[in-house]
Amino acid sequence: MKRLYYLCLLTLTLLGFWALGVRLLEGLKVTGLTSYFSWGAWVVLYIFFIGLSAGSFLLSTMIYVFNMHSLEKVGRIALLSALFALIGGLLFVFIDLGHPERFWRSLVYWNTASVLVWEIRFYLLYILLVLAELWLVMREDLGELAKHGTGWRRPLARVLSLGYRPAVTSEGRNRQQAAAARWVKILGILGVPMAVGVHGGTGSLFAVTIAKPFWNNSIVPVVFIVSALVSGAALVTFLYAFFAGEEEDKLGVLKSLAQLLILFIGIDLLLVAAEYLVGLYSGIPDDVEPMHQVIAGQYGLIFWLGQIGLAAVVPLLLCSLPRTRNSSRWLGLAGLSAIIGIVAVRVNLILPAYTVPQLSGLEKAYVDSRLTYNYLPSGNELLTSIGLIAFLVLLFSLTWEALPLVKGNSMRQDNFEGRIQHEGSQSQLHQA
Amino acid sequence: MSEANRQDEAEKLSRREAAVKLIKISLGLAAGAGVLGEFTGTEKAEAGAMLEVPAAAPPPLPERIPQDEAIFRMQQELHRALQKPVAERNWTMVIDNRKCVGCSTCTVACKAENKLPPGVVYRPVMEEEYGKFPNVARRFLPRPCMHCTHPPCTKVCPVSATWRSKDGVVVIDYEKCIGCRYCISACPYGARTFDWGEYYTDGTPQREKYETEPSFEYVKEWPRAKGRSPVNNTRKCHFCLHRLVNGMLPMCVTSCIGRATYFGDRNDPESLVSELIGNSRLMRLKEELGTAPSVYYLV
Repeated sequence: MKRLYYLCLLTLTLLGFWALGVRLLEGLKVTGLTSYFSWGAWVVLYIFFIGLSAGSFLLSTMIYVFNMHSLEKVGRIALLSALFALIGGLLFVFIDLGHPERFWRSLVYWNTASVLVWEIRFYLLYILLVLAELWLVMREDLGELAKHGTGWRRPLARVLSLGYRPAVTSEGRNRQQAAAARWVKILGILGVPMAVGVHGGTGSLFAVTIAKPFWNNSIVPVVFIVSALVSGAALVTFLYAFFAGEEEDKLGVLKSLAQLLILFIGIDLLLVAAEYLVGLYSGIPDDVEPMHQVIAGQYGLIFWLGQIGLAAVVPLLLCSLPRTRNSSRWLGLAGLSAIIGIVAVRVNLILPAYTVPQLSGLEKAYVDSRLTYNYLPSGNELLTSIGLIAFLVLLFSLTWEALPLVKGNSMRQDNFEGRIQHEGSQSQLHQA
Repeated sequence: MSEANRQDEAEKLSRREAAVKLIKISLGLAAGAGVLGEFTGTEKAEAGAMLEVPAAAPPPLPERIPQDEAIFRMQQELHRALQKPVAERNWTMVIDNRKCVGCSTCTVACKAENKLPPGVVYRPVMEEEYGKFPNVARRFLPRPCMHCTHPPCTKVCPVSATWRSKDGVVVIDYEKCIGCRYCISACPYGARTFDWGEYYTDGTPQREKYETEPSFEYVKEWPRAKGRSPVNNTRKCHFCLHRLVNGMLPMCVTSCIGRATYFGDRNDPESLVSELIGNSRLMRLKEELGTAPSVYYLV
């Protein structure tokens, strides 16, 4: 079963890399994009993955910064998802470049007025932060593995632990854990504005575009962040439900996640309602036309089935119906449904803006297959997308197997806090 | 030099046509035919003589006709502006919608001048139809790059590959552009298009020579080859900067059959464009966005 799973992923990955090779050799003519409909599937997946990353990371900060102990078990999954999703986002924005070989210029030539250039720097800093936090929460287990591990895991842990070894005495261990907890908390606190910046900023890329009234709206970055939280919570729910094995109080953890999911979906629906009702009521043609496309036009199916159905109604029902809310499998499926639904949300955030000509009559002024306001992803776009996603899942799965992610929670925050209480009572005794 | 000769020939040709029209109207058909013969005669003689004249000596200019006043004036103003430092020029275009007949000559001339591939167009002409039969009117609106004073497109470029130059032209450095297409989304006028690396003869047995000819945008030679800039870059109208610096008006101005497009330096208070800007028919596209275009329309 596992072998089949990896074989499938590997096949898809190779297929995707072949398509990617064609794309890199032939340039962007392999896409279905046009000069007027200039961003498509890859940009949709780019913001989807950045959102997934920011959402997972914010979930991890709730655990480590705001001490949501009930969710402590999924902290590492959340951080690792944040890392891989961000890498995925960067891969998709990379393959969307006309001259990918010049990507380094975005790091060297710094146009301070560009939101995009700030975002790229934000992403890189954010990767470092996630890596640092991930190392801190796992260093004890990695150190253990480096000492007592078996097989290939041992040298791997030796490298990844960066020389860190847990202390021999329990006193020393407590101190180390306390230090790690403190640093995780500090990094988490730094990470909150950073994750908000990473995805709110990604939303701002679109929101600052005065040429597209559909995007040029201050609610857009907020929608980006909230739907990121939905996708992050959904991903962690899905992963924990299906891949964490049998752990104690698994259902309890999943129920807490489901509650968060319900909360995020609720806020997301509120924002979508606000955006569409205000926009449609105001009736400015350039704004209304894309909204019509979403609600009753070419994006209607994606909206009602994906954005409303899969991303909201299905998970809400699964998380609240008495028959399903007590089953870890159903809750996991609620997560999966929400993840797929958020892809639809991302599609409807980007693509409808391109359906309206910037000036009326421009669509007929010069007839050319690359000067239209219609877009369907080409076969190459679909293949590279599926391949890159398979590649990410493959890497994630391998990491999942290699690293101590679910079993053995190294943070033991209760211990650490118990110790503080203990010390506190001792000093009180002394004073007495 | 051969380029300049071709230019002269083309101008002569259009001037001759204009002259024919004028004479036909004013003097009547019979009288006109006589003069016409005389005109074509002198032209032929000049063209023949030109072959023997050394390359350095320009051929004498033919007599002026009233329709040419504008273009001669703009030409002189262009030379005057070129004497000034770059930062003191402010290139401006004025398009008279009532004179535009919607022939799309400018679109095609621009395509040819800049060797534009499929999917790339710098100056499409939009058509609008008003009313119901029998009360119908059409209006035409050529749409070059607006060369905004506050361009929304240059702001978003992550690599500073596009900017508004000192003389007011919004330019792209093809060698710097990474092809992210953010600027295309950011332009409220749809004036930026992408070079997809396609050819008009894609899917046919033979690629034609005209498709692989280099363009001379930004006074550089850009041979057309796979993966080589400007392929996979954003492209846009640049007011024919390579022609301007050589003392020639933009191709759309020169080629306009109705003399509906004017070009010049609006920092020069005596220029034709400065004169036209002081007109109650004046408007600019999407003025409400605060982009302050350098392309004006007379509606």
